Amino acid sequence: MDRLDTLRGPVPPRPHDARAIAALAANPGCERRAVLDAAGVDKDATAAHLGFPAPFGQSAFAITRGNAFEALVKENGCAELLRLLRDLLGLPVESAGYTDLGDMAGDPPAHRRHEHTRRLIDRSAAEADDDGTLYDHPLLRLEIAGHTAYLEPDVVAFRLGGAFHVVEVKSFAVVDGQAEPEKVAAAARQAAVYVLALRTMLEELGHDPLRVSHEIVLVCPENFANRPVATLVDVRRELAVLRRQLARMTRVGRIVDALPPGLTFDLAPGPDGAPARPVAELRDAVRRVDARYAPECLSTCDLCFFCRDEAAGRGSTELLGRQVRDALGGVATVDEALGLADGSIAPGEGQEEIARLLRLAGRVYAEAG
Amino acid sequence: MSERLDELEERISALRGEIRRAVRARESALTRSLRADLRTAERAWDLALAAHEPPSPGEPHDSRAGGGASARGRGAGPPPGREPEAGGGAGPMLPVRERVHQALTLLGVPSAARMLVAVHGALRAGPLKGTQLASLRRDEERSFRSSPFARPYYLCAALTDRLSASRGLFAVSTWPLERRVVGPLSARVDFLTSAVRVAEHVQRISGPGGEAPPAARRLLARMAQSIPGAVPAGSGFPGAEAVARAARAELDVHAADDAAARAEIARACERLTDAERLFGGTILSLAAAGRPGAERET
Repeated sequence: MDRLDTLRGPVPPRPHDARAIAALAANPGCERRAVLDAAGVDKDATAAHLGFPAPFGQSAFAITRGNAFEALVKENGCAELLRLLRDLLGLPVESAGYTDLGDMAGDPPAHRRHEHTRRLIDRSAAEADDDGTLYDHPLLRLEIAGHTAYLEPDVVAFRLGGAFHVVEVKSFAVVDGQAEPEKVAAAARQAAVYVLALRTMLEELGHDPLRVSHEIVLVCPENFANRPVATLVDVRRELAVLRRQLARMTRVGRIVDALPPGLTFDLAPGPDGAPARPVAELRDAVRRVDARYAPECLSTCDLCFFCRDEAAGRGSTELLGRQVRDALGGVATVDEALGLADGSIAPGEGQEEIARLLRLAGRVYAEAG
Repeated sequence: MSERLDELEERISALRGEIRRAVRARESALTRSLRADLRTAERAWDLALAAHEPPSPGEPHDSRAGGGASARGRGAGPPPGREPEAGGGAGPMLPVRERVHQALTLLGVPSAARMLVAVHGALRAGPLKGTQLASLRRDEERSFRSSPFARPYYLCAALTDRLSASRGLFAVSTWPLERRVVGPLSARVDFLTSAVRVAEHVQRISGPGGEAPPAARRLLARMAQSIPGAVPAGSGFPGAEAVARAARAELDVHAADDAAARAEIARACERLTDAERLFGGTILSLAAAGRPGAERET
């Protein structure tokens, strides 16, 4: 752990939220992200200091829209959600309990709210005949590389066949039964984080963690109206990726050990409040850790523009997306691929097959163009 | 016409004199009947004046303060049916707390600001904005703490099983404690009760064979969405009667459990002071003390 503290420098570690943890699972191959996150480095500030601030975060309109839709689903004791669960999962009419776990006097600190959530979930897991069906504003906890992250899922529903279901309310539309796959994937990744946190909690309490269903309930507006519709989404794959990634973070030591000693991403502020570190020095430090850039990073990682610039500088095929990069296995740069296609570069060992395909594609384009 | 007005004014002043004597003699039954006579006379006077002067701006006076609320509390007779139109003029003249009280009396259960705004907008035809409710509960609490029970009613909080003020739920201080506390099933029960009350109100203002205003029907349709069996198979607005019936059917399922849970919380509330009983206690887990696994927090 000392090593990670050195990497971060003398600033407090940045807490993780569900979105950040989910983003980890989006690109498991990226060492740069794994190291920076494990050390709790403020990636946003790092990117800004490097001169590549990410236009990151949601738009204010999207947040307002999301909140309004969530309020609609949750109003009157989750009346709409109850209707959806009755339709979708056959929730019996008797199960209509609603407990707002965030409804505590004053503004209690996170650990206190977590305790309250823990106690109530424990009670409902233990008692067969419990009133609670919907738990609003629960606060869960997940250990991320030695740090505690508090997570707040939208709703946790219980008693659907004795299982807990995580409910995720999102404001993107499901039109004619179809939603944008990328957005569904992002929601599934985020919900997987909650499922994992809830399972961890049940396990700590001595209950069977598998009582948390791997199927989450995704609630979205239907078609072009504001009427909510619910779908079950299987998050087993996301869970597996997430577990692997979190395990990697705890084993991040291997990656860190391979880094030169004394390396740091220190962003300690100077007298003027801005990081005192020279930009060039920080850039070299960040470049020491390999990144695996993909265009998807643009929607999940603060450092995306820096990595994209780096990949563009190398002429890397990563810029063209994962599919192209995988299809061009063994060919590192765009120039090399073009050279192979027009025959100006002789294919090396093991490159004969891809070179043949590239030359064929080149000929097709030449004839068409 | 002015002779009639003179006559009425005489009668009103005579009645006032009698009331004064009756109050002094502590004859409460007589006082009550005299007061009723006085109100009738005053109403007749208002009507006579209105007939005298057709485009009367005096009418809003009729539904000022307590008069309007108590008429609705009884909830019968033709005057409430007339009120939505009259309310168009009267609404803005009423203070916010008065309007919130009206909406709460109509619903009869602890309600969130969103619901109050929707109900007031659809049924009382007066503007009420969510932002106006933001500091209402705090103002009421301050008023109560500076001079307890000085007002006939306070807009207070609903209490959770932790005996703290529930976030965002409004209630009326004159309601019995069992109605002002919320257990796990209360959110659903209160929603269904509100649906029944709104449906009944819509029936009332539409009258036999008549149609309720569109805003009222829309509100009812929206509430009916999440009540099983309330929405007709085809498209179109659900009938008020059908909504009330469906809501009552589900209410029957939850009523007993909910009443038991509420009674338990209400019993625990006896430990609270007057102000805490209205606006929420600060001690976290008084109610939870008797439950298993609740011994940690103090």
